[in-house]
Amino acid sequence: MARLEVERICKGWEFPVIDELSFTVEEGEFFVIVGASGIGKTTLLRLISGLETPDAGRVVVGGRDLTGIPPYRRSIAMTFESYALYPHLTVYENMASPLRARRLPVRERDRRILATAKLLRIDHLLERRPGEISGGQKQRTALGRTLVADPEVFLLDEPISHLDAKIRHELRTQFHTLEDLRKVATVYVTHDYAEALSLGDRIGVMGAGGKLVQIGAPRDLFERPQTLAVAEHLGQPTINVIPARIIDDDGPCLQSEEGTLRLPVTDFARPLLEKLQGRQVILGLRPQYLRPGHDDTRGLTLRADIDIYEPLGTLGIMLVRCEGVRMTAVTDPEMTYHSGETVTLTLDLDQLFYFDAVTEKNLAVGD
Amino acid sequence: MTMGETSSRHASTARPKDAWRYVRILFIAFLVLWLAFTLFPLYFMTITAFKTAAETNLTTPTFWPQDWQPANFLGVFAERTNFNALIDSFIIATCNTALALFLGSLAGYAFARFPRQAGGENLAFWILSNRMFPPVAILVPMFFLFDITPWGTDSHISLILLYLVFNLPLATWLMMVFFRDAPVELEEAAYLDGWTPLRAFVKVTLPLVLPGMISVAMLCWIFAWNEYLFANLFVGTAVRTYTIVIPTFTHGSQTLWNLQMAFSLIAMIPPVVLFILLRRYMVRGLSLGVVKG
Repeated sequence: MARLEVERICKGWEFPVIDELSFTVEEGEFFVIVGASGIGKTTLLRLISGLETPDAGRVVVGGRDLTGIPPYRRSIAMTFESYALYPHLTVYENMASPLRARRLPVRERDRRILATAKLLRIDHLLERRPGEISGGQKQRTALGRTLVADPEVFLLDEPISHLDAKIRHELRTQFHTLEDLRKVATVYVTHDYAEALSLGDRIGVMGAGGKLVQIGAPRDLFERPQTLAVAEHLGQPTINVIPARIIDDDGPCLQSEEGTLRLPVTDFARPLLEKLQGRQVILGLRPQYLRPGHDDTRGLTLRADIDIYEPLGTLGIMLVRCEGVRMTAVTDPEMTYHSGETVTLTLDLDQLFYFDAVTEKNLAVGD
Repeated sequence: MTMGETSSRHASTARPKDAWRYVRILFIAFLVLWLAFTLFPLYFMTITAFKTAAETNLTTPTFWPQDWQPANFLGVFAERTNFNALIDSFIIATCNTALALFLGSLAGYAFARFPRQAGGENLAFWILSNRMFPPVAILVPMFFLFDITPWGTDSHISLILLYLVFNLPLATWLMMVFFRDAPVELEEAAYLDGWTPLRAFVKVTLPLVLPGMISVAMLCWIFAWNEYLFANLFVGTAVRTYTIVIPTFTHGSQTLWNLQMAFSLIAMIPPVVLFILLRRYMVRGLSLGVVKG
């Protein structure tokens, strides 16, 4: 068994897709890379698997440098976003492919495939072809094909993104319980932050320009995002972003660039704002900290006009205009609101993030 | 029956229903005419093959044999070499097809997967363009070219190689299209399963393009089987193809139409049988590029 080290790996010179990217995944660790579509996540997996050659840097598995070793001699299994099941072979034969390549005895092959198929609940489909099974079953088959291979490293490329919500959740929970997956180093790529937060032992957020912007435990990333981009990517509904500047009105306070929203500077924020390079700051506020109700102990009470209200069953999302600033707030599902209504909201000042307007770095997180 | 459904849906309004009916009648009439037009030569060939020589030469043609002569089909083999001609044609067509398919697959794969290293679109198009000029243009140069080879012109191998000029571009180009449609990801998945590139090609890519390959084989085989122009000039003594045997039934004073047609019918059997056997693959292969996924 082995750990995976990716060291300063590069792809693309003029327009780097992957730029000096490094990370380590320990044996038994589930590492999730989350990032927007088209940002180079799949390229990264292809570089690790050997399907593409890096322009610089190296991939080390179990202390062995894999540079120059073709994919079929690496002990790395990968699922493709499109599943890449062999259409002319049955589910059984698809799963047998990596074992046949290694010339495993038939009896051992049968045993392993049956065990894995049972685990993934596709044992009744073994004689079918990929064209005859559903999307979720295809995904399980693709997963089964990588699981039986018993590799040193698992790479999973958006394994459940294209399935409908119910099956997606079912498979997501299954990832927690698959022991084979939890034994080795796994890199899981997704654009869905919920998958990342749910599954990852650690998460790496991939930003534009082919770099990992921040690596950390799920909670850590959510509560202490290093940059505005990380804060924007994690969390649903998306964090409220309010550009503001510091003005002096009987002591410092924060004035929104748009509208007339004025916020006091808390004791927590005062030393942070001294670190500012200019006078501009970007405030970040998660929607769940802007709630209906009047609660002076928790923060600032505001009047707001509701533009749109979306009742989503387990929660409600309202898009409001608050002194000329557009914001998103989260409400309890029992309450009913209507567009055009005016409500009282409480903004939790202690939960504000402060980002430098120039560097977009979180002022509260030291480099 | 989509049409039936459509007309019943419009049952309340009389006009579209009538219009549909006329279109259908016209369409069916056209098909019947077309069928008659296509089948008539075959019908006349068949009845001629069963006629006596005298009946074939009547000024007023008969459309049903007056005197059935099934013995005509044995008569064509009175000349023993006539049967050998069918064998020769079979050897040439089959070997040529195998060679064209083998080389064409390799070249097509290279053009599909590594276009730049293989010479790019221009080279691929040049290969196809070889198929576009009139074959007769190279008839005489080719004769002299093959004449100086150790096996000469009058041999199986000369025609097997010569037909590559026509069949290889076709095979290369079509196989290129089929390989392009076979997803690269499947090959990559095979690499990650641990298959070497050659084994991945055989295990994964080849089965995917097999229906296409069978269609290409049919096209090549039928071309080589039916070729007359080059065969007439190149071979004739040591090797004879059936295509150059058919005209030998025409003698100075008369043409033995009945024997000629009987022999032609016999020569039709192998391609027809082949087509019936491989028909399913052929249709799948020809639509391979049309419907994806």
